[in-house]
Amino acid sequence: MKFHLWIGVLLLMTLAGTAGCRKRGEPAKADPLLAAYDTEADWTDAQRVIPLSYQQAQGKRIFYQQCVWCHADATPAGPSNRSNLTPIPPLLNDGAALNAESDQNLQNIVTLGGSAVGKSAMMPPYGRMLSAEEIRSVIAFARVIAQPPYQSPRRVGSQ
Amino acid sequence: MSAEDMGKLANRTRLIFAVSSVVFLAVLAISPFKDFRREWKQYKRAYLRFAQSRPDTKKLIADYRPDIDQIWLPGMNVVDRCTTCHQGITQASLGDQAVPQPFRAHPPIPHHVRDWGCTVCHRGQGPATEVAEAHESTLAWEQPILPTRFIQASCGTCHYANLPQTPQLTRGRELLAELNCQGCHRLPGIDRPAMLGPDLTNVGTKVSREWIYKWLKEPRTIVDKDGNVTVDGYETEEEPRMPKFRLSKVELRGLSAYLSVQKVKAPVPYRIDARVVAAWSKNPELISQGELRFRQMFCSTCHSLAVTRAGETKLIGGDIGPELTKVGSKVNSDWLMAWLRDPQGYLPHTRMPRYGWSDEDLYKVTQYITTKLTDSDLLTGVPQLGQPTEEEIQLGHRLFLEKGCASCHAIEGLNPQKDFGPDLSALGGKNASELEFGAAKIPRHLVAYVQAKLHDPTSVNPAARMPQYNWNQTDLDAVTTALLSMKGPPATSALQNLVVPRKEVSFHPTGSFGEVYERYKCSTCHKFNGYGGDLAPDLSYEGSRAQRQWLVDFLKNPQTLRPTLILRMPQFNMSDKDAATLADYITMVLQHPAANPTNVDAKEFTPAMATLGKELYEVKYQCQSCHTIGGTGGYVGPNLNNAGGWLTPGWIEAWLRNPQALVPDTIEPRRNFTEDEVRALAAYLMTLRLSIKPQKTASTIATHAAAQGAGR
Repeated sequence: MKFHLWIGVLLLMTLAGTAGCRKRGEPAKADPLLAAYDTEADWTDAQRVIPLSYQQAQGKRIFYQQCVWCHADATPAGPSNRSNLTPIPPLLNDGAALNAESDQNLQNIVTLGGSAVGKSAMMPPYGRMLSAEEIRSVIAFARVIAQPPYQSPRRVGSQ
Repeated sequence: MSAEDMGKLANRTRLIFAVSSVVFLAVLAISPFKDFRREWKQYKRAYLRFAQSRPDTKKLIADYRPDIDQIWLPGMNVVDRCTTCHQGITQASLGDQAVPQPFRAHPPIPHHVRDWGCTVCHRGQGPATEVAEAHESTLAWEQPILPTRFIQASCGTCHYANLPQTPQLTRGRELLAELNCQGCHRLPGIDRPAMLGPDLTNVGTKVSREWIYKWLKEPRTIVDKDGNVTVDGYETEEEPRMPKFRLSKVELRGLSAYLSVQKVKAPVPYRIDARVVAAWSKNPELISQGELRFRQMFCSTCHSLAVTRAGETKLIGGDIGPELTKVGSKVNSDWLMAWLRDPQGYLPHTRMPRYGWSDEDLYKVTQYITTKLTDSDLLTGVPQLGQPTEEEIQLGHRLFLEKGCASCHAIEGLNPQKDFGPDLSALGGKNASELEFGAAKIPRHLVAYVQAKLHDPTSVNPAARMPQYNWNQTDLDAVTTALLSMKGPPATSALQNLVVPRKEVSFHPTGSFGEVYERYKCSTCHKFNGYGGDLAPDLSYEGSRAQRQWLVDFLKNPQTLRPTLILRMPQFNMSDKDAATLADYITMVLQHPAANPTNVDAKEFTPAMATLGKELYEVKYQCQSCHTIGGTGGYVGPNLNNAGGWLTPGWIEAWLRNPQALVPDTIEPRRNFTEDEVRALAAYLMTLRLSIKPQKTASTIATHAAAQGAGR
């Protein structure tokens, strides 16, 4: 009998050994808002808060410095300049107008200005003021706040 | 023992031997199995499987390393094995949000992971190879990973200068300065102004003992159970600079007694001309005229008042000076008159300018303040305190020092205790074991500690002397970020070399300009060489920009140049001599090296150039999208109706070539004009003139502007 006990103890030890191999539980999934670098309230639904990555947050900052005056309905100074312009420029979150443009097209419009790509000369060129990376970040911000939401074209591998 | 018995025993021994051999073999086999099942190896295999599902499998597999991957940067104390599991961190094709962690690429940031490692920004344990050990604080490791919403703290560890990319950190640093935290704590890099709270040397001449009692008990602010902050009964988002101290009735009696006897220098009562009083005291328009004048003088640029519109009461106005809705029930009327005439006579470091008052205006405005800006219920609930006794005064004196009042409020002849609160210059690098959590039921790590302490100082230490602040979550997070960024002096010389220092700025003009500049407190709103407020335009290069005559006219009769801006510059009733002193100094000294007004002679501009310039302005470049000329154009830039009477041609040309070279944060983009186009545009702009002579009655314009301002 003693001997069965013995074997039992050895087997238990083995089990205890394997127990250590069990994978530890994954850390709790973080709230995307708490993990966000910055946030932006959805322009069409103030209740919905959009988390922003570092790049999108930089785009937001540049947008509210440079672009908000003509591409939003309310500005930090109060009234928007949109209504003074013909043609009226699109709002930055206007997915119907902007989703169809590729990132490269938008990059060109901002860099070279409207007149260089056959659009309104009222859109000035920013290529000598903002870096290509800064302009990319503004486009990334436009994409994340777009309504209807922006669907990125299928990613192609780098090879 | 019989042979049979012996055989039995041998059999038994053999069986035991056989069983234990099998068991030991099994146990030995577990070891390689355990090694195979290690967490980081599982992630390695998972990555290989994941790579098969990607379109660029070949490249991902080519970059794959089967071993522990380590970023070792000896100078910076970095030994980071994070990339062992976070294998796709530098793979451009894995940046998509759809890529599962831990394989996603790092979003683009200015610092490359191979040059900086991970823990420099994210903290946590670099050498660990298990998820829990690397990210959280376990017994052996004390630095948990920094939650992403405080990540800007890490930027601030090296970047002492403010970065445009880290608005939360900048806001936190501003709040630390604004709330006078550096009154009690050592906080490197936080500005300490000449005066933190008001100097109380003469406070007994300003307010009553009862008012002091009320203020100390409830410094204007009430927070209801929903967390709404009200100041004097009005909802606001502004945090008053005076926090709430937890004082008992006896302490309130003592402090109010002590402060109410602080009367070193009584104000000299000013007698308004009897004829003015006779002419106005019976006039039913007196109060409404006073209110109009109060508005016309743009008091609301710095002070707010509660205004009820459409059934909703709100505080409207600036927050540079105190809110004034009930000030008439607070201050003594002799003091008020003396203060308005010469604020710097009472508080040498005040930011309030000295106006040139006429007796009539002074009478009207003081009457308005003392009759309309009042509340008969202000002191409800304050007991009858009577004359302060010697005992109460002694107690108040002791409390004033013990409670730390003296750290922010000077009283002549009183020496505050040095370093009243703990030194916070290395708080951000503290381990959990160095912190006192008391009985607080919060996670044992630094972030939770800082937030709990800020939210309610008594939660981690019931005997805390730190007062109670009312934070909203955004401000609480911003201040937490700023505090977490303070990790003390860099640990290694390599880190020391990475520090981006803050530029110390100051502007102390002397001579007659210095005297006028101090009297009108220009730097309360304007910046000069980086020093001063940001309510109004930076004037560091105003001498290159504006023509002298325009400056004189503007100072005597300020107007706004931007269609959407509300004029906030008060009219100081400046004498011709003061205006000339300011304009001369600005023109001579506040120059930009790249825009010398004498470089360009407007006489060289021809009408043909101006015609070309007009065409460029209107057709080719469509400047009207942002600028107004006449009645049409955009609201973004200043109106150019009087560009020829306002700007110097040298400034216009330098500006058109490169606006950011003159004003780095201006929003006008730099264009690609040819030299001829620059000349033509400058020639055109110089033809734009308005013949506005400074009007005799300045108040007509001011009234108009005030009416506009009221629509805010």
